[in-house]
Amino acid sequence: MKRYDLMTPEGTRDLIFDECAALRGISEKLRRIYTSHGYSEVITPGLEFFDVFNNKSRHYPQEVLYKLTDGKGRLMVMRPDSTMPIARIVGTRLRTSPMPLKLFYDQTIYRANPKESGRDDEFFQSGIEIIGGDVMRSDMEALSIAAEVMQSLEADDHRFEIGDSGIFPMLAAKLGLGDAELDELREYVQLKTYPALDEMLSRMENKQYAGYIGRLARMFGGREVLEEAEKTMPDEVMPLIRSVKSVYDTMSELGMGGSVSVDLGIAGKSGDYYTGIVFNGYVAGYGMPVLKGGRYDRLIADFGVDTPATGFAVNENAAAEALLKRSGGMLLPAPDVMIWSDDESVARSIVHCRRLIAEGLTAEYSDLADIGAAREFAKTKGCKRLDIVTASGITTETIK
Amino acid sequence: MTENKALRIALTKGRLEKDTVGLFEKMGFDVTELHEKGRRLILSVPGQNMEVVLAKAADVITYVELGACDIGVVGKDTILEHGGKYAEIADLGFGRCRFALAGKKGTDFYGGVGVKTVATKYPAVTRRFFESKRMDVDIVKIEGSVELAPLLKIADGIVDIVETGTTLRENGLEVIEDVVPISARLIVNPVSMKLKKERIEELAEKMKAAL
Repeated sequence: MKRYDLMTPEGTRDLIFDECAALRGISEKLRRIYTSHGYSEVITPGLEFFDVFNNKSRHYPQEVLYKLTDGKGRLMVMRPDSTMPIARIVGTRLRTSPMPLKLFYDQTIYRANPKESGRDDEFFQSGIEIIGGDVMRSDMEALSIAAEVMQSLEADDHRFEIGDSGIFPMLAAKLGLGDAELDELREYVQLKTYPALDEMLSRMENKQYAGYIGRLARMFGGREVLEEAEKTMPDEVMPLIRSVKSVYDTMSELGMGGSVSVDLGIAGKSGDYYTGIVFNGYVAGYGMPVLKGGRYDRLIADFGVDTPATGFAVNENAAAEALLKRSGGMLLPAPDVMIWSDDESVARSIVHCRRLIAEGLTAEYSDLADIGAAREFAKTKGCKRLDIVTASGITTETIK
Repeated sequence: MTENKALRIALTKGRLEKDTVGLFEKMGFDVTELHEKGRRLILSVPGQNMEVVLAKAADVITYVELGACDIGVVGKDTILEHGGKYAEIADLGFGRCRFALAGKKGTDFYGGVGVKTVATKYPAVTRRFFESKRMDVDIVKIEGSVELAPLLKIADGIVDIVETGTTLRENGLEVIEDVVPISARLIVNPVSMKLKKERIEELAEKMKAAL
C-alpha cells in the first residue's frame, strides 16, 4: 500500500509561486553582489563521499548527515555544507591557481534536524570563500560583503555580530579539561546557559581563568564590551580582542556602526572549523542566524594545501521566509494579455502571441476551446485584456 | 523597529505560571489580566510593553526556539528532555524538585549482569543518565503514573521527577540515586538575546532581584 505518495518528507517542502519568487529574487540579488566583487561560481556535487565531511579540523555528528551507499558499498552523504567540498576543490583541481581565490556558490544543503523541530532539512545556501589572502584584508572584505548582503535583505531590523572563535579555546586551555568536559563548557558558553556554566566553573581549580570564562560568556553588546574586555581579560587574548576591535572600528568607518555588535563569547560547536574572526547576521522575525561565517585557516590543509581562508554562507530560504512574512506575501503578476483563438486560427494566434511578447508585453496563450470559459479564466487571473483571433482578424476586449 | 515591539514571554501553564505571575506582582507589574485570563492564551501586561503567552512546557521551548516568543519560563526537566538551541540565562529557583532513579524497596537495581528495563516519561534524560554510567538499558516510555511499571513488573526501575517522595513510599518504591536537580529557568531565543539585549537583561535582573 502506498502511504507516502501525497506528502513530502519532514523538513522538506514544495515552494510555490511567491515562495519561489522570493527565494529566486534573493538568490539573484546575492549573486549580483558576489559577481560585482569579482567572485567566480563553483557548483559541487549534491552527493559526496562521507570522508570529505569527516576530517581533522571539522567533523559532522553522524545524526545530522543524510547518508546512503554507492554501488560499491561506499558511504556517501547528501552535501551538508559547501565549504568543505570547496576546500576539496582547492586542494585538488585549483591547487596551482593563483591565490587569493575568490569563489562563490549557490546550492542546496541537506541536514537531518531532530524530528518535529520545525527546521528545514533541505535549503538553498549561497556564500563566498576567500582563499589564500592576507588575513586582515580578507577578513575585512568578507565582513563588508556580508554586511552588504544583510542590507540587501531589506529586513525591518538587522544585526551583524562579530567575535573571535580563538578566544574561548585559549582561555579554556588553562582549565586543564578533558575533551568531554571542554565540549560541555563550550556549549554552555556558546548557548549562554548561565546557571550550568557558573556551576561548572565554580568547580574549577583555576579560579582566575574560570572567572575569565564566566565573564567572556556575558561579553556581548556594543563597543563598550571591547573596552571592558581590554581592561579585564588576560594578555594572551589581547591580540584577538584588538583584531575584533579594529574590525569593529573599520565597519563603523564604513557607516555600519549602528547595526554591528560584538559577541566575544562565540565559542563555536565541537567540530567547527573556525579559527579566527567569526560573524553572524540576524534579521528581525527569524529566530536563527540568517548569515554565518568566519575564518577557517586549518580546513584546507586537511585537503593538502595549507592556506588561510575565510567566508560566509547565507540561508536563502530563511531570508525569503523573513521577506514574505514582512511583506505579507507577494501578488503574482497577471499577464498583460490573454489570447484566444477559434479552431481555425491557432497558428495565427501563436504568431500574435509572439509579436506581443516581442513588443515587451507578457502574453498568455489560452488553452481553452470555449471563448466564454477563456473570458472567465482571464477575469479570475486578473488579466485586463483578451485578444480574440479568428479568420476575420483580431479583436481586443477589455476584461472588467 | 523591533526594539519597540512588545517583548513576548511564554509561561509554562500551571504552577510555574502561578509562581511567575506572583513574581511579576512583587515586581510591581499590573497582573490583573493574568489573574482574570478566562480562556485567552495571549495576555498583556499594561505599562510594560510585554505580552504573556501561556503554553505547555514543551511548547514554551518550541516557541522560544522558533523565535515566536522572546523569552520563556520552563522547568529544567523539560529543557533536559527536549534539548534545543536557546540561551538559558537564569535559575528562577522556584519549581524545585529533582530527577531520580527509583526502584522497589529493598531490591538491588545495579545487581546482576542482565540488561535492566527502566520506565520513564523522560526517555532522553534516562538515556543520557545511563550513557554516563556506560550502561545499556531498555527504556519503556510511559505516559501516566510511572510508579506502576515496577509494580506491574515491566521495569526494574523508573526515572521520574521526585518532589517529596510520598508517591514512591506509598507504592513501596524508594530512590536509588538522584539524577539531576530541577527548577524553573528563564530561556531566551538567541536572536532576541542580541536584538533586545537591554530589555531582556533588565527584565532578568528585576526578576532575580524579586526572588
